[in-house]
Formats: sequence, C-alpha cells, structure tokens
Amino acid sequence: MRRSSRTPFLVVAAAGLFVAACSGGDSITDTGATNPPQTTTADGSTPVETLAPTTSVAPDTLPDCPTSALADAAGTVELTFWHGMTGPLGEELDSLAAAYNASQDAVKVNLISGSYEETYDKYLNSSQSSRPDMVQLPEYTVQGIVDTESVVPVGKCIDDAGFDLSHFLPVALGAYQTQGVQWSMPFNVSNPVLFFNKKVFEAAGLDPASPPQSLEDLRAYAQQIVDSGAAKYGIALDSGFDSGGGWYIEQWFAKAEEFYVDGDNGRTNRATKVLYDNDTGVELLTFLQDMINDGLAVNVGDNSGTGYDNLLKLADEQQPAAMTIATSASLGPVLDVLGSGQFPQITGDDVGVGPMPGPGGAPGALIGGASLWIVDKDDPVKAAAVWDFITFLVSAESQSEWAAATGYVPVRDDAADVEPYATTLANDPRFAVALAQLEASPEGLTSAGPVVGPLREMRSVLAVAVAAILDGADVKASLDDAAEQANNLIADYNARNS
Amino acid sequence: MKRRLRDVPPALAMLVPSMALLAVWTVYPLVMAFINGTKSCDSTGRRCNDVGWQQFSNVWQSREFQHALGVSLKLAAMTVPAGLILGVGLAVLADKHLRGIGFFRTAFSSTVATSVAVASLVWFVLLQPEIGVLSDLFHEWIPSLKQPGLLRDPGTALPAVALSSVWAGLGFTFIVITAGLQGIPRDLYESAYVDGAGSWRRFTNVTLPMLSPSILFITVVLTTRALQTYAEVSLLTGGGPNPEKSTTTIPYLIYGRNSVIQNNLGLKSAAAVLLFVISLVFAIVQFRGFEKRVQYAR
Amino acid sequence: MRADRPRGWRLVGRYTVLGVVAAVVLFPIYAVLLQALKSGPDALDHPSSLLPTHLTLDTITTAWTDGNLGRMMLNSMLVSLLVTAGVMLTSLLSAYAFAFLRFPGRGVLFVFFVATMLVPAEVTVVINRRTADSLGWLNSYQGLVVPALASTFGMLLVRQMFLTLPKELHEAASLDGVGHLRFLWEVAAPLSRPTLGALGLFTFLGTWNAYLWPSQVITDEAHKTIQIGLEDLKTPGDISRFNLITGGLVIAALPIFVMLVLFQRQLVRGLTAGAVKG
Repeated sequence: MRRSSRTPFLVVAAAGLFVAACSGGDSITDTGATNPPQTTTADGSTPVETLAPTTSVAPDTLPDCPTSALADAAGTVELTFWHGMTGPLGEELDSLAAAYNASQDAVKVNLISGSYEETYDKYLNSSQSSRPDMVQLPEYTVQGIVDTESVVPVGKCIDDAGFDLSHFLPVALGAYQTQGVQWSMPFNVSNPVLFFNKKVFEAAGLDPASPPQSLEDLRAYAQQIVDSGAAKYGIALDSGFDSGGGWYIEQWFAKAEEFYVDGDNGRTNRATKVLYDNDTGVELLTFLQDMINDGLAVNVGDNSGTGYDNLLKLADEQQPAAMTIATSASLGPVLDVLGSGQFPQITGDDVGVGPMPGPGGAPGALIGGASLWIVDKDDPVKAAAVWDFITFLVSAESQSEWAAATGYVPVRDDAADVEPYATTLANDPRFAVALAQLEASPEGLTSAGPVVGPLREMRSVLAVAVAAILDGADVKASLDDAAEQANNLIADYNARNS
Repeated sequence: MKRRLRDVPPALAMLVPSMALLAVWTVYPLVMAFINGTKSCDSTGRRCNDVGWQQFSNVWQSREFQHALGVSLKLAAMTVPAGLILGVGLAVLADKHLRGIGFFRTAFSSTVATSVAVASLVWFVLLQPEIGVLSDLFHEWIPSLKQPGLLRDPGTALPAVALSSVWAGLGFTFIVITAGLQGIPRDLYESAYVDGAGSWRRFTNVTLPMLSPSILFITVVLTTRALQTYAEVSLLTGGGPNPEKSTTTIPYLIYGRNSVIQNNLGLKSAAAVLLFVISLVFAIVQFRGFEKRVQYAR
Repeated sequence: MRADRPRGWRLVGRYTVLGVVAAVVLFPIYAVLLQALKSGPDALDHPSSLLPTHLTLDTITTAWTDGNLGRMMLNSMLVSLLVTAGVMLTSLLSAYAFAFLRFPGRGVLFVFFVATMLVPAEVTVVINRRTADSLGWLNSYQGLVVPALASTFGMLLVRQMFLTLPKELHEAASLDGVGHLRFLWEVAAPLSRPTLGALGLFTFLGTWNAYLWPSQVITDEAHKTIQIGLEDLKTPGDISRFNLITGGLVIAALPIFVMLVLFQRQLVRGLTAGAVKG
C-alpha cells in the first residue's frame, strides 16, 4: 500500500492557476465597449471635446399622478411598501404605518423590510409586476432609479394636489431633484455630525460648549487633547464607503461649495466624471493624513465590523479618541447604549454633538438617509393611494414622532413645533445640531450633492483610496487612481443605461 | 439488447423528476450565465447588448478578479489542509472503543449544527475587539486581537475568516471521515499488528490508504466550499480591511455589498462562470491526482 | 483488538486529550451560549463574562419576540421537512434507475448529474431568481422548496447503497414479475434505511442552514427562514442589540443540535453502509 499525499496536488494546481493569472492590470469595469461615447463630426474627424450626453427630461413623457383617483377605488386599496428600516427603526416605521392603517379604510399598507442595499438590488432585479407599489431608497440611488423608468415622480403628485411645500427643507427636497423634476419625497434625513466626549474636552481645557467649527479648529483641538494627555487620540477617522471613505468626502465638497461630479453634480446634465481629484480633494485628504501621521487621529479602518467602530473608539478603555464623525441618525441609539452605563470611559451625558467641521468653518451639509418613491404600476388608483400614505408620513405630526424616536432630522421645520419632537429639542439641544447644520446649507446645486448612476460603486472605489491614504499612501496618486476608476464606472454605467 | 430497451420507459419515468429540476434550476441558469457573460446590460439586466466572448478574458485579466482569485486560492490553501488534517485527526482520536466515546463524537460533530451564517456570527461575536471574549482572553499574547482586532488587521483577517470556516466545516468532515474509518475492515489492522507494525505505521499503511475515498470526497468538498466562500466574508469582514481588500474572495467581488459590478449583469455572469470553471478544474485535477492512489475497498 | 483498549495511564492520557480537544471545539459554542444567557451590562462586563453568573433567559426571550423568530422557525421547519421528503423521493427514483436499470446513454446521463453538483450557486442565483420571479414564486414556499428538490449528492449516496445489494435480489424479483416500483418500495428502500436516514438528516441540515437562496427569493416576514431572519438582529449602527445576536444564534442552532445529539450515530452508520463495499 502506497503512501498517498494530497496537499501537494492542491499546491501545484494553485500555483499553476496563480502563474497563469499574473498578467492583469486593467480594472474590471474597464472592459468591453465601455469607452465614453465618442461623437464624430461630419467630416469624420474626432471633435476636440467629448460632450456630455444631454438627456434633459421631458416632463410630458413621465407618468401622471391623478391624486383624486383614490376616490374612485372600489374597496380598500392594498399597498406593498419595501423599506430599508430594520431593528428599532423598523419598529417605529411599523407603528407609523399601523397608525395610518387604523386612521382610515381607503388604503392598507403592507411593509416589507430589508437593508438598503438589499432593497435596491431586489428592486433593480425584479420585473415591474414583482416590484412593490412604493419603495424607500437611500440618497445614492437617485440616478439609478430614474434610469429604470419605472416610477411616478412625486413632483407630478405635488403639482396635481397643489401640495404645500413651504415648510419643507429645501436641501432635503433638492437632494431628490434632477433637471427640474422632483423624483421622490424625502422621508428620513440625516447628516454627519461631530460626536465628542465632553469629559475629555474639559480635562484638556477645552470648552465643550464650543466644539470645533473648521478643520483648522479640529486640528488645534486635537493637538490640545493629545498634548494634555486627556485622551490618546483627538479624533477617530474611518474609511467606510458610507461614511469616512465616501459620504463625508461628498459632504466636505458641499461645504466648500464645490461640485463633486460634472454636469452641476449631475443635476443639470448627466454626470460623466468626478472632480474630487482636484486641489480641494488633495488638500482635504492631506489634512486627514497629516492628522494621523502626527498622532492626532486614529484610523479605525473601514468600519464594516459593527458599523460603529469609530463610536466605540470613544469608549475604548486603553486608547480612546475624544471625537469622531458619525451620522446624526446614530445619536438616539448611542445615548441609549451609553445610558445603561456599560462603558466607564463615557456616559450618555458626556456625549457632546457639534456640526461636522469643514474647510474654513463653512457651514452646511448634504442630506443622507432615504426617500419615498412611487412605483409606476400603470394604475392611477395605486399611485394616488401611495401619495396619500406619503402625505401622512411627511406630515408635521408624523415627522415629529419619527424624529423624536429615531434621531433623524425632520424633513420640515414645523415638525419642531409639534409634540413629541418639540420636547425632545427642548430637553436635549444635541438633537438640534443636525437640523441647524442643514438649515445653514448654502444655496445652490453644490448643496444638493452628486447624482450619478454608480454612486454606490464609486463610494466603494474611493473608500479604498481613502483607506490607503489614511495608511500613508501618496494622496494625489491615490485620488487620481480612484478618479480614473470612478470615471470608468460612470462611462460604463452611462453606456449601459442611456 | 432487448433488455436495454425494455428498461428505457421506467428509467425515463424515474429520472424525469430529477432531470427536469436540474435542467430548470441548474443547467438553464448555467447556460444563461455563459450567454449573459458575453453581454453588457443595464442595471435591471433586461436591456442588453452583445459584447462578445472577449468579456470573459477581460474579466479574467482585470486586477480586481486577479486579486480576488489570489484571495480565494489563499483561503483554499489555508482551509483545505487544515480542515482535512483536523477532521482526520479528530476522527482517528474518537475511533476508539471507550466508555463515553459517544459524547466526544457528538462534541466533535457539533459544528455541523451551525450554518455558515451562525458560525460566522459566533466568530464575529468572539473576535469583536472591544467586547469579544477571545479578544479579552488572549490579547496579552496576541495584541492584534485588540489593536486593531483580528478581523481588521490586513495580515490576520483572512486567516481569521479561514478559522471560522474550518471550525464550521469540522463537524461535517469529522462525520464523513468517521464513517470512512468504520468501513475499514478490522482484520486489516489485525494483520498489520501481527506483522509488527506500530501505531503510526498502521495509520499510514492501513488507515490513510483505506480512507482515501473519503479524503478525496472531503478534499473536493472543502476546496469547492473555499472557492465559493461568501457568507463568512459578508458577515465577518465585508471584504476588508481596505485598502488591501484582504478578504475579497471571488464570490464577494461579485455579490458583496461594496462590489463595483453589483448591478452589472454581464460582468457578474462572466466572473461567476470563471469561478465555475476554476472549481471544475480543481475538481478534475483532484480526481485525476487521486485516481491511481485511491484504494476502493472490495 | 488489544491496541484499541488502552489501560492505566494511557487510558487517562487518552481521555485527557479527548477532553481538551472537545473543550477547544466546543468553546465557541459555550461562549456564545453563555453570552446569550446574560443580559444587559453583565454580557459586556468582560472578562468575567466567561463565568456562569447572573444567568437569565431575558436575552433569548427578547431575541425571540423582537426578531419574530417563532414564525421563522416554523417556516424553516416546514421548508426543511418538505425538501427532505422530496429529496429522498427523487434520489430514490434516480438512484434506482442508475443502479438497477440498463439503458442507452446511462453513462452520459450519470456524468451530467454529477457535473451539476459542481455548478456553484453563485452562477445560478441571478437567473434562478428571475425564473422564480416570472413564475410568481418570490415570497412563497414553492420558491423556497421546489428548486432544492433534486440532489445529486442524494442520488450518489443512495446509488452507492443500492450497488451493495446483491444483484441476484433484483434479478429474482424481476423474474417473479415484481415491478420496479414495488421492488423499490418493498425491497431496496427498506434495505437502505440507514443510508436514507443519513441522507434525510443531511438534507434537513442543509436546508435548515441554507442562506443564499432564501435571501434572494424571500423578502417578506411571512416566509422568512431563520437563517436570513438572524441578520435582522445584527442591525448596523446599533450597539444595544449586539447581544441579541447571540440569543438568536442559540435559538437557530438549538433544534439542529438536538437532532444531532439524537441521531449522530445513525448519521455515521448511514454513511458507512453505502461505503463498505463501494
């Protein structure tokens, strides 16, 4: 009987594949017929400049929204609503929907939940008949959903019903608008804010009542914290694609009143390339890299483990950070957890909240969160029923309840005058920071944020570059590389979807 | 001759249920994946243009695929030998007539009760740097358990995923190898013993050769499983840590939440077909490599 | 066999090794179980969280009610039972055809069956979801069950067992004019009971633990299985629910664990039965 050896086979096979494989170079999205569309002039020569495809939306061709059609319904209209709220957020949305269902008998809403990514992917991959009547999707999906040509723009309903928008935050509405069309209705609005440990601020001789406003302040504060030994690090930075590696960079560009992609952030023309590899981007990321190099900041990585690795760094017992940037939507849960006293380093009362520091102390923010879309089921009654439910969800009363329970910013300013949110704000001014920051946003399309088909994929690409930069890689080269990949993604997306 | 034809109708009737199911749910989608791999489609995957077979080689050569292939192969190189050695080791250890051996056998096969999702969440909880139990217990010896955490350190993230994967697969391997051990006729050991073979010699000259069919089976299963690793990565590391993307396996490159080809049916299909071909090549190589060595008991 | 029966110190040594190894293998399960049996600050109070103090069922009951796990357990149970029954049936039939019947193209068909085993779910899942969509099977039990009903692994296992049955048995039966189905039900299947038991257990385990396909075909609460429901407990950005995951894990793994304790021996015996004279 011979001795049989099996692992060598694996190794040989693996080695073979590996050797055969060592020739790559191009990006996976750089394959096939994905070059930017080339326009040829009449005489056959290539024009000097490649023009952005102008795809202005003709509002006449979009589906209508006769909001009075609900009156024609025979019996109760059943609606399916896919949303991305899980855990306690999902329970809160459930209770809002239950209140709506109980308040009238014309419409009954059935809720189906999944993560944002899951909901978006399932929406894209489903046939129109399997799609829900209404869907909640995050801010990065705007162009992607518009391109499916499967929705009734809420703007049509707003016009038809003469719906009053005067109390709505312009920056929230603007985020879901392109080429003059209001595509969807903002529902849950968040934006990044600065979380800090008041105790550490005091120990470092800083005033917890005046958190840093500008990036320069941020650095000075961090320096003082580290020098005084009040905490090991000034700030915890991350490179997650929906936080420090992507979304925050978009925020900083908005604060600097600069466009992130061309076509006026993709809002007047379809975007064809990113702009973040410019001086603003290089300056910004060099600033962050220096913070780490100088021991003022700590990099907690891509934040994918828990989604709150950066916040946990404030509670770290050995090497805590004093500050971090996180979405305002986590304020409620964070206070809940710290309130139970599990972390000796920081309690709920120790948490301070300030605006997200920006270049030159510029105020303002882009909204994150999600909006409500009406799916085109070729049925005016359904569209009208969805619209009815949407008006309920964005009423001052519902928004007040929603904001008080979750920490999201209400989409309208009069929600702050209605209970229970009025009391929340009065008792805890920390909840007002995110709202004030949004209201301070400068006017203009830079404050509406980028709309571009593969925004989610672009964030992934940029997140890798940010991670590399925080690890010490060359800033300009990393951004150029990310920009090139992002531009490939956009070209590929536009070629496939327009 | 007559007999062969007479059996056709019953054979057909008995095979039709399985064949129909496999045709609809395995063969059809496989064929479609090949076809879609030559296309460029919109985000809904319903409006497509032909771009040709070139797309397969483009995907193969792309740096993302090459990187993910490297990760998948590294993962296989870690999990297959480790899973096999531990599985055989445990099975041999428990293949004794001892009082209470049933308890140990149940213990060793217990991880079969955990799904990949459950096992990954178990390790996620254990390895959590701030509050995980393992991090608390062993960070004196292995500082990276706390700083930055095993799953967040580019050097240890993949081994940590492999650890979870090996642990999750241990029960299954143990059961299959134990069954293989029990199929070995005892007289082979007796004669080896009479010939003066020590326990190591009996292991290498009787046990291992007689186990070779089970080992082949397990090797193929573990390799396939390693190449198809998705849920562990999704739940433990999200493909990171970045920028190294240390745990972005091929399936995670295709389906992960931060995949750059998430809504690109053509590229996804091409990459998935390549994954299939790689699995196939491995299986064939393993079968052929074993062919002459496997001892089928008679 | 004398070599198998150590005595004295060797016996002690053997038990020690077995015990240590078992402890290592079981440790993750122990740690999670313990975590699940604590609640609130206790669970996070490290490192003493490894000692069984202040045990409570709170976390598990909260996970149960918050996660709607009861409904999901029922769904998983129903789907797993249906798939197990179906797979045993289709495997018996196709294994019989390959083991006992002679027909042209048998070899080719056999290779076809085995080849399907190597097709990764990653390749098929996108198109299968679309097939289920066009059949109207999204969010339905059929969508969960039907695609899983054919198993090449099952066919191979049962066929292997059938091949060990004496050929004369089948020849005598067909000379006596016993039909194929009757022979299958009354002779072949009963003789293969251990193998079928093992197949049933493995299929049940596999279906119970299935993750990718259910997550594609199911979105609504009414049809969610426990494996995809567990993920809802891991809400990103919410530290307070961290501990709930462990409660959910314990609930999800418990039925399978009980089955394993009860049937572990049968599992091994069933796999051995076909292999002995393969």
